[in-house]
Amino acid sequence: MSIQIKNLTVEFQNKSNKIKAIDHASLEIPSGMFGLLGENGAGKTTLMRVLTTILPSTSGTVKMDGIPYTEKNYPKIQRRIGYLPQEIDLYPSLTVEECLEYLGSLSEIPKETCRKRILYYLEKTSLLEHRGKKMRQLSGGMKRRVALVQALLNDPDFLIVDEPTTGLDPEERIRIRNLLVDFSENRTVLFSTHVIEDLAATCSRLAVMKKGKFLYSGSMKELVRMADGHVWTCRLQDEAMARQVEARYLCSSKQLSEDGVRMRLVCESRPEIQCTPAEPTLEDAYLYLENLESV
Amino acid sequence: MMKTEWKICLPAYKLCYALCFVVFFCVIRGVTLTYEIGVALEPAMALFAMLFCANTYTQEISSGRSQIQRLYPMDNRLRSMAERLFLQEIVLLLLSAAGYGLSFLLHRPQTQDTGTEIRIFLIFLAAVLVTLWFWGMLSNFLSCLFRNRWAGIGCCLALWIMTDSSFGKKSFGNWNLFSYALRDIKGLSFSSYYSVSGAAGSYGGTDFHWIYGKILCILLCIGIALMMPAVLKKKG
Repeated sequence: MSIQIKNLTVEFQNKSNKIKAIDHASLEIPSGMFGLLGENGAGKTTLMRVLTTILPSTSGTVKMDGIPYTEKNYPKIQRRIGYLPQEIDLYPSLTVEECLEYLGSLSEIPKETCRKRILYYLEKTSLLEHRGKKMRQLSGGMKRRVALVQALLNDPDFLIVDEPTTGLDPEERIRIRNLLVDFSENRTVLFSTHVIEDLAATCSRLAVMKKGKFLYSGSMKELVRMADGHVWTCRLQDEAMARQVEARYLCSSKQLSEDGVRMRLVCESRPEIQCTPAEPTLEDAYLYLENLESV
Repeated sequence: MMKTEWKICLPAYKLCYALCFVVFFCVIRGVTLTYEIGVALEPAMALFAMLFCANTYTQEISSGRSQIQRLYPMDNRLRSMAERLFLQEIVLLLLSAAGYGLSFLLHRPQTQDTGTEIRIFLIFLAAVLVTLWFWGMLSNFLSCLFRNRWAGIGCCLALWIMTDSSFGKKSFGNWNLFSYALRDIKGLSFSSYYSVSGAAGSYGGTDFHWIYGKILCILLCIGIALMMPAVLKKKG
């Protein structure tokens, strides 16, 4: 199952001018886990909404396994999609089981099949013992897991998750990530986030968005290789020096220690201070890519 | 599904405040004659219906659930909304009936024979059923249209003020949405109102031309029901 996006543009009218949320973007999303990385306002959620048929495109084409995203094809496409939105508040007064059964019936899954899938996914997400609890009694992480189960109920070919780990504690974040990897078997999972660690831990391929355009699309290794030779570590004596260096170069990390300030810099050529080359991480590569004009 | 829809659209706090509203209203609003109960209750229950039903679907929008509901067949979404409206209207109708009985008990209005009183009550129920249905549907429709329940309630309130007034009575006459409550009962003496003449279409001298207003309500409800799928598709 793959998604082909060609020259996609999504515009919104805002009083006197038009805003381009997605600007002539092209992308191919293959089977398996695929990451979508970008700063706030990059256009990730708008892209999700186009892919889930919530928003129509202004121009360009989107196809799912060759089926174009047109209104006529929406019912066919919608049956193959599972969507976990960034913010969702499932029915607080219903129990976990009631909520999932209700959503399953709305999406026309046969009752018995729905029940079996609910029990299966609740077990996989360690929620089986909580199935009798009301949604409002669950923690944030548990609610997110229930929302993930609802996205899987119709056994979708294409699972879209929009920032599923936002606001969760580290343990829950890891749990959600691992679940997504488990569920990506025989499926396409589009994992949108602005947390680089999440993608580094789960995806081998990703795209980077900025201001409605794709800056990069390809393998994680290739992206990290782009930043090879452009990452440096240095140790400075004091805070004042560190601020001067920060003003001149892009700093990906800064650590205060007893022997001074350790900094990690991303720049096109070797900085004019004493430093050593370092192995780039995905975070460094992302910063390098985002600021390519200025580094 | 009905049981689940009940839990979604009629949580305990909503039933509580609905009951409180009816009780307080019946306590405060005095009546002398039984026909006055319907006159008092109809506009008040209409106001309440618009508040009660405004959030029928817009709760899905504010909670973000509409984003996943978009993936479901439109028929199922409409059926879900219709079931919720139906359940809410039933509750409102029962509350109206209870309010009628409570007014009867609290204020002990002057009454006639049982048959006449039952007729007055059944006509009240029929009229208020149409009223509740119309204002509930309109409120839900406008809330969906503006994707905001307060906008829906505000527009309905403006219409309510316009129609439930002397201006509305003068301008719309028997075609007023509150034609039952605003029907001309002045000048009728108590005895002439309650005389059982047996003449066809007459009910102790009261005419039924106010039914045009209720027919208008029904026609508008049908129009709203026909437009709802398009609104839900575009704005839902």
